[in-house]
Amino acid sequence: MRSVSTRALVPLLAGALLLSAAACSASAPAADPGSVTITFSSYNYGTQGSAGTGTQALLDRFAELHPEITVEPQSVPVADVLTSARAATAAGEPPDVVQLGYSKLAEGLETLPVQPLDELAGDGWDAHVSGIVPGPVATGTRDGSTYALPYTISIPTVLYNADLFEQAGLDPDQPPATIEEVRTAATAIVGTGAEGVYFAMADPGKSDYLTQSVMNSAGGGVLDAGGTITLDSPASVEGIRQIQSLTTDGLQPAVAVDDAMAAFTTGDLGMLVISTAVLGTVQDAAEGNFELRTTAFPGFGSAPAAPTHSGAALVSLSEDEARQRAAWELISFLTSEEGYQLIATEIGYLPLRQSVVEGELAGWLEENPLLVPTIEQLDQMQAYQSFPGPRSNQATQLLQDEAVEPVVLRGADPQSSLTSTANRIRELVGAP
Amino acid sequence: MAGRELLPDGAGRARVGGLLWHLALCGAVVSLLFAVVWALLSSFRPTSRIYGLTPSWPTLEHYTRVLAEWPVATLVGNTFVMASAVAVGQVVIGCLAAFALVHLTPRARRPVLALLTVSLAIPPQALIIPQYLMATRLGWLNTEAGLIVPQLGSSALAVLVLVQHVRAMPVSAAQAARLEGALPREVLWYVVLPALRPAIAAVAVLVFITTWNEYLWPLLITPRTEDTTVQIGLSQFVTAEGTDYGGLLAASTLTSLPILLVYLVAARRITDAFMQAGAR
Amino acid sequence: MTAAATLAAQAPVVARRRRPGLAGWSYLLPLLLVVGVWIYLPVLATVVLSLLDWNLTSPTAEFVGLDNLRRLLSEPEFAQAAGQTLLYAVALLPFSTAVPLLLAVLLWARPGRASTIYRSLLFVPAMVAPVAVAVAWRFLLNPLNGLVNEVTGRVGLPAVNWLGDPAWALPVIVVVTAARVVAFNMLLFSAALSGLDRRAVEAARLEGATGFEVVWFVVLPQLRSTTVLLGLLSVVLAGQWSFTNVSVLTQGGPDGVTDNVYHRIHTLGFGYFETGMASTASVLVLVFFALAALAAEAVRRRRGRS
Repeated sequence: MRSVSTRALVPLLAGALLLSAAACSASAPAADPGSVTITFSSYNYGTQGSAGTGTQALLDRFAELHPEITVEPQSVPVADVLTSARAATAAGEPPDVVQLGYSKLAEGLETLPVQPLDELAGDGWDAHVSGIVPGPVATGTRDGSTYALPYTISIPTVLYNADLFEQAGLDPDQPPATIEEVRTAATAIVGTGAEGVYFAMADPGKSDYLTQSVMNSAGGGVLDAGGTITLDSPASVEGIRQIQSLTTDGLQPAVAVDDAMAAFTTGDLGMLVISTAVLGTVQDAAEGNFELRTTAFPGFGSAPAAPTHSGAALVSLSEDEARQRAAWELISFLTSEEGYQLIATEIGYLPLRQSVVEGELAGWLEENPLLVPTIEQLDQMQAYQSFPGPRSNQATQLLQDEAVEPVVLRGADPQSSLTSTANRIRELVGAP
Repeated sequence: MAGRELLPDGAGRARVGGLLWHLALCGAVVSLLFAVVWALLSSFRPTSRIYGLTPSWPTLEHYTRVLAEWPVATLVGNTFVMASAVAVGQVVIGCLAAFALVHLTPRARRPVLALLTVSLAIPPQALIIPQYLMATRLGWLNTEAGLIVPQLGSSALAVLVLVQHVRAMPVSAAQAARLEGALPREVLWYVVLPALRPAIAAVAVLVFITTWNEYLWPLLITPRTEDTTVQIGLSQFVTAEGTDYGGLLAASTLTSLPILLVYLVAARRITDAFMQAGAR
Repeated sequence: MTAAATLAAQAPVVARRRRPGLAGWSYLLPLLLVVGVWIYLPVLATVVLSLLDWNLTSPTAEFVGLDNLRRLLSEPEFAQAAGQTLLYAVALLPFSTAVPLLLAVLLWARPGRASTIYRSLLFVPAMVAPVAVAVAWRFLLNPLNGLVNEVTGRVGLPAVNWLGDPAWALPVIVVVTAARVVAFNMLLFSAALSGLDRRAVEAARLEGATGFEVVWFVVLPQLRSTTVLLGLLSVVLAGQWSFTNVSVLTQGGPDGVTDNVYHRIHTLGFGYFETGMASTASVLVLVFFALAALAAEAVRRRRGRS
C-alpha cells in the first residue's frame, strides 16, 4: 500500500509543476498602446456608506479627466489591506495603487515594491507637493524619496453629547479644552448617572494613533526625533497614566471601543474621544437621540494638544513603466485640490491643502460644522510615528495589546507595563 | 404524530412525556437561537436605535438599502457556485473513497484514514500560503477553479463520516449483488449509494455551509470585486469609518436564505429515509 | 436490503471475489490526488518554510534552521495559545457530543411535523453568517447597554464586562461557538439515527422495555461509533470552530486569554508576516496531534490484545 500511494503522488507532483510552468509562460499581456489599465486596491471602494460612494465619485471624475486610463478598483476589507497586497505581490501581480493605513505604512514601505513617487512625477513634483500639509508627507518619505502621499486622513477629536452636558450643569458652548477640564466635565456627567468619557485607545484595528496623540500631548511620544524608542519615558508614561486614572476613578468605562461607541450613540456616554473617520457613522446612529457636537483634542497641562493623525496613504507598486505613469496620474489626481475637496465633502476625511479649506470648502464647512474644530487644529497635527524595520506593525500591535489596553482598561501598572513592552519592542525591531 | 412514537408509553404517560419533550426542545430552541433571533430583530431596527434596548417600530430601511446598493446577486451567485461545486466534489470524492476503503481496498483503510485525520489537525491558516502560491502559479487568480479546486483538499471530514456510514450498513444486499456477479460500480450505484442518502445529504449540507462561510481563501484568490464571495462582501459593512451594523445584519439575513433552501432540500432526504424506516 | 441476511458478516463484500487491485485504487485516486496536492504538498512546503526566515515578499529566504522554533517558544503568547486550545477542546466536547446526541435522539423518538420543525429550527444557528451571530452577541453582551447585563442587573447581579474580562471572555466564546457546533453535529447524529436498525427497537418495545431502556440499551450502542468520531473531530477542530468568533469578538484578547493556536498562527502569518514562525507553529500542532494519534493507537492495540 505504501509504495502505491507514493507512486501515485510522484506523477502528481510532476503534473502540478508542469501545469504551473505552462501557466507562467502563458501570461504575457499584449500591450495596447495609448490606453492602460491599472488596479487600485482600496478599503473604501465598494464599502457601504459615504466612503464607498465618495470613492466612486473620485474614480468617476478621474475617468472623465483621463479616459485613456482604466482603473480597475479592488475592494479590500480594511483589516486585510496588507495581507492582500503582500499576497498579490508574492504571486507576482501587485496592485498598481494601494490605499495603505498609516499604522501599516512603514512595514509596507519595507516589504512591498513601492515606487518613488517623486521620480514618477518628474518635474511637476515640487509644485504638486508644496500645498499639502507636510506632516504625513514626511511619514511617507525615506532617504530623501517620497513613496507615499496622504489620502484619507483623520485626527482624533472629542465628540460630546450636548444634552448630557446641560443635564450635568455644564455649558455645551464651553467644551473642555484640556485633560483636566475633560476630567471635571466627566465627573459632572457621571453625577447624572451616565458614563463620563471614553478615549478609544484600545483600537480594535490595533492602530496606536490615539496612544501617540496622548503621549505627544503629554510631552512624550513613542519615538523621539532621533528614532529612539521613548514610549517608556516619564512624559509618555504620565500621559497614559492620566487616561488610566479616568478609568480607576470611575469616569471612564472599561469597555471595548465598539461598546463605547454604542453607548455614546444611545446617550449613555458623555464624551467620546475617537478619530474623525467615524464621525459619519456616529452621526447617523445618534440621529434624533441627542445633540452631537465636537471639540478639538484636549491639551495636557499647559502645552497645546499634539494629536497624531490616522488614516491612509497612497503608494504605487507598478513595475511596468506605462502603468507607473498611469498610477502617478491617479495618485496626483486623488491628492490634488479637487481630489481633497471631494474626499472632504463626499467621505468626511480632512482636506489636506490649506487652499481647499480657504477656498471652495468654506461654505460647505459652515453647513457641516462638526469637522471645524479638527480643521482648526490641523497645524498642530503630528506626523504618525512608525517603529523602524519590517516588524514595525508587529511592534505597534504589541504596544497596544500588551501595554495600552491592560493599563487603560484593566488597571495594570503604567510604568512597568510600558517599560517591559518597550524592551520587547526594542529587541523585536533592533532599535535603541 | 399520534401513533407514530417509537418509544413505548401508556396513554397518560405519553401526554406527560410529550409535554416534557416539547419543553426540552423548546428550551433548546430558545437558548440556541437567542442570538440569531436578536440578529434578525436588530436588522429591522432603524440606525438610530440599532444599539441599546429602546423599543422601536420595525423598518425595512436596511433591506432596501442593501438590495439597492450591495451586489447581492453577484455575491450570492459566486458563492453558490463555489459552495455547491465544493460540496458536490467532496461528496463524490468521499463516496468513491468510502466505498473503496470499506469494500475494495480494506487494507488501505487504516493508513488512509490516519492520513485524513492528521490532515484535519493541520492548521489551515498555515497551509494557505503554499496553497495560494501554487494556485496563482497555475494562473487561477480570480477564477472559479482557484476558488473551488484547492478546497476539495479538505475532503477529510466528508470521507470520515461517509466511511463510518458505509461500514455501519447491513451488507446483505451488497453480498447478494456480489454473488450475482455485479461489478464494483454496480454495487456502489445500486446498493451502497441509495442506502447512503441520509449521510450524503448531511455531509453535503455541512460542506456547503462550511465553504459558504470560508473567508481567507476567497479573500486572497479573488481580489477582483466582481469575483468574490458573500463573506468578503459582508466585510464591506465593517469599514474604517465605523461598522454599518444594520446593513451587515440585513445582508447576513438575506444571504442565509440560499442556505435555508439547500438545507430544506437536504433535510427532506434525511427525514424521508427516516420516515420510511419508521413506517416499515 | 430489507430481508433476511443482516446476519451476514460485516466483511468487505467485493474484495474477496477477485482482487480488485487497480479498480479499487481508481476509486481512491481522486481523494489521494486532492489531498496529496492541496494538503500534503503544502504541508511539505510548510515544513520547509518553518526552517526559513521569509516574510512572503522578501526576495530571498534565509535558512535559519531551528531559530523560528526558538523564537516561537520564547514568546509567552504561543504557550498561552496552545494551552487555551486544549481548554476550548475540553469545553466544547459536551456541545459536540452529549447535547446534539440528546437532541437528535429526542427528535428521532417522536417523528412527525413537530419534530421536523424543531429539527429545522435547531439547525438555524448553522445557517446564519458567523459574523452576524457574533455581532448580535456583541450587542447582547455590551456592558453599558446590552440585554444580558440589563437582565442580570434586574436580579441584583453585578455588571460584568463579558468579552473584556479575562475571567469571562473564554467561556463566553465557548458559549457563542456552541450553538453552531450543536447544530452541525445534531444533523450528523440525525443522519446516523436514520440508518438505525429499527427492528431491534421494535423487538425491545414488544418485550416491554421502557423508552429510557430502549434508548439506553438499543439506540445509544448503535450510535457509539458516530459519537466517538464526533468527539474525536471536536478535540481536533474545537480551536478552528471558535476561530471566527475569536477574530470578530476579541482578536484573542483580553490579555490573550481567548487566543488559540489557530488564531495565533493566523496572527503570526497574516498579521505579522512571520511566515517562518507561523509554519513552525503549524508543524508543532501537526506533530502534537500525530503523537496523540500514535499514543491512542498504542493504547487501542494493547487493549485489543488483553
